[in-house]
Amino acid sequence: MTRVACLLAEAPAVVPPGALLQVALAHSPRVEDAETCIYLDAAGLEGLFGAEPELGARLRDAALAAGLSIRVGFASGRLAALVAARLGEGIAIVEPDGDAAALAPAPLTLLPLPEELATRLERWGICTIGELAALPTAGLFERAGAEGVRAQRLARGEDPHPLGSWRPGPTFEESVECEWGLETLEPVVERLGAMAARLCARLGARGLAADGFEWTCRLADGGAHKGALTPAVPLTESAAVTALLRLALEARPPRGIVRTVTLRARPTRAGAAQESFTDPSRPSPRFLAATMNRLVALVGPDRIGAPALLDSHRPDAVGLGAYAPPSPRRGAHAFASPSPLRGEGRVRGPRRRPPNPPRDASVVAAPVLALRRFRPPVPAAVTLASGRPVALRSSRLAGRIVAGVGPWRASGEWWTTRVWLQDEWDVELADGTLCRLAHDGSAWHLAGIYD
Amino acid sequence: MGVPIESSPPPGWERERIDGLLGLLGLFPPGRLSEIVGSRSSGASSLLLALIARITTAGDGQVAFVDATDALDPASTAAAGADLSALLWVRCGGRLRVALGAADLLARCPGFALVVLDLDDLGPVPASAYIRLQRAVEDTDTILIVRVARHREGSPASLVLTTRRLGPQWMGVRPLTRLSGLRSEVSIARLRLSTLSSPGRDQGEGREGEGRWTINWTLEDWPRDNWSIGA
Repeated sequence: MTRVACLLAEAPAVVPPGALLQVALAHSPRVEDAETCIYLDAAGLEGLFGAEPELGARLRDAALAAGLSIRVGFASGRLAALVAARLGEGIAIVEPDGDAAALAPAPLTLLPLPEELATRLERWGICTIGELAALPTAGLFERAGAEGVRAQRLARGEDPHPLGSWRPGPTFEESVECEWGLETLEPVVERLGAMAARLCARLGARGLAADGFEWTCRLADGGAHKGALTPAVPLTESAAVTALLRLALEARPPRGIVRTVTLRARPTRAGAAQESFTDPSRPSPRFLAATMNRLVALVGPDRIGAPALLDSHRPDAVGLGAYAPPSPRRGAHAFASPSPLRGEGRVRGPRRRPPNPPRDASVVAAPVLALRRFRPPVPAAVTLASGRPVALRSSRLAGRIVAGVGPWRASGEWWTTRVWLQDEWDVELADGTLCRLAHDGSAWHLAGIYD
Repeated sequence: MGVPIESSPPPGWERERIDGLLGLLGLFPPGRLSEIVGSRSSGASSLLLALIARITTAGDGQVAFVDATDALDPASTAAAGADLSALLWVRCGGRLRVALGAADLLARCPGFALVVLDLDDLGPVPASAYIRLQRAVEDTDTILIVRVARHREGSPASLVLTTRRLGPQWMGVRPLTRLSGLRSEVSIARLRLSTLSSPGRDQGEGREGEGRWTINWTLEDWPRDNWSIGA
């Protein structure tokens, strides 16, 4: 019979990292670190610590001795143990086979759900875990798919996955001792480079990269020279790491003879450049970061980014957002299967236009006529006849107008000091150029050219 | 025995038009410099937007757009079907050397499916810049396109497409009621695929001057936002 204990800190913000884990490891060999709480395998501990109330009291006292105030919940599954710890007082115990009953009155927000499913259940009026558990499974599967059924199994107290086992993470640290001492910078950099190569190889073998490096040089006079660097993107290339270390040490070299050099790498999960075999590769984060930095230096920081349509009817209301390459086919997966509830889960907000659903590669949108904008709009002199433009003169375009339609009058933001009003005309010049003219109430402008 | 059902396309559906554009967009060779040459209102920019839309929405990769004259209209780009989040827009403010430098940097950054350098009528472009760009994308999967108003003699572009205005399309007759689109012709002025490393692409040799597409570009921002008929 599986029994799980959940240790939940009363004030998680003040818990030192790893403190709760140490308490759990002192009582059970099988512990899972769930970040917000700690689960431990409580089965078979009666001989050591007594029944569950005694074990709970012992865990609470051990935590108090470490300066932590915790709640403890016991149940047959993790979710029920967590709910017991969260909603109970002090030490809460759910009897075997009582998980479903214990979960039933708990609010649905305690169930770990994808955002879309949580929104959908909320719209259905499902507020408690018990209400979700009582839904007909077949109907739930039809509407919410496998994700909905998985959530319902959790709500019914079923915990299909075994308890994870915590293991200490690998330490990525290398050290070199030099009995004769290093008096110049070059041999120090050489040894750091060799250590960086070994660290990068170890990181790469585990599919990791380093997003930070720290080094310590023990000096002959007993002092220490410490430094750290944080690359713009996680690195696994030793040559790049060595170059950065060299630059950092040249900027701030050790003040004395170096006896021992230690290099530590901070591991992080490296993002894949290609998510799957059929996906296209994305720009390498390292190359992209370097290229973006150079582009910013070339064109300026406010002239580069992903275009974004602003929530305004004002002509040319666009902005530049941060450019972050999205995951390939991210949208394609989102639209791959039609939603059983049409209209639900869609973004309602300030977007001016809804996002275009991705299409198959063999399909292309209907050909759309592009407008090339003048930024800022070019002042123009327009001759009118019977209220219609018949000739245009500007620094960019000039000629007789042979055809035109308008005015299309638009205005906005009259409730602010940035009120705007504009009449637009689409005109064809004698040389065939199609352009858009705008009159803002006082002057004419050339807004753009259709191309 | 079932009754065969034949369905006819809905009114306005022009399958040939779509297929033709699809074939045209598939012409641009990866790892090579291509050129789109077109004067004002010839449909050259519309052709670029169609290609950007195809690449970004089909999940084929990221697109970088070096906008030498700050002329890109994101609203038109979105209307063409492009995913704006997959587009890197570099505005160069009419500075030719900056635009060439930015395009060179992006062409050398692996991972972009398409790099566009929109020069329009900015110039003249030194021949060495073209050659440098061509070298930058060699042996990569990046499509590099330079959009110019006039073709430069000595350009090393493997594919040169020229666009020509056939005429605007208006709705209504006397008086006209609105602009509905533009009819233009795209033709292959040069297609040198024999120099490509892939042997399967040698079939393109000898097609120079062949290939001609007539495309109706439609104005999509109708009804216009927040408009009313003026006096």
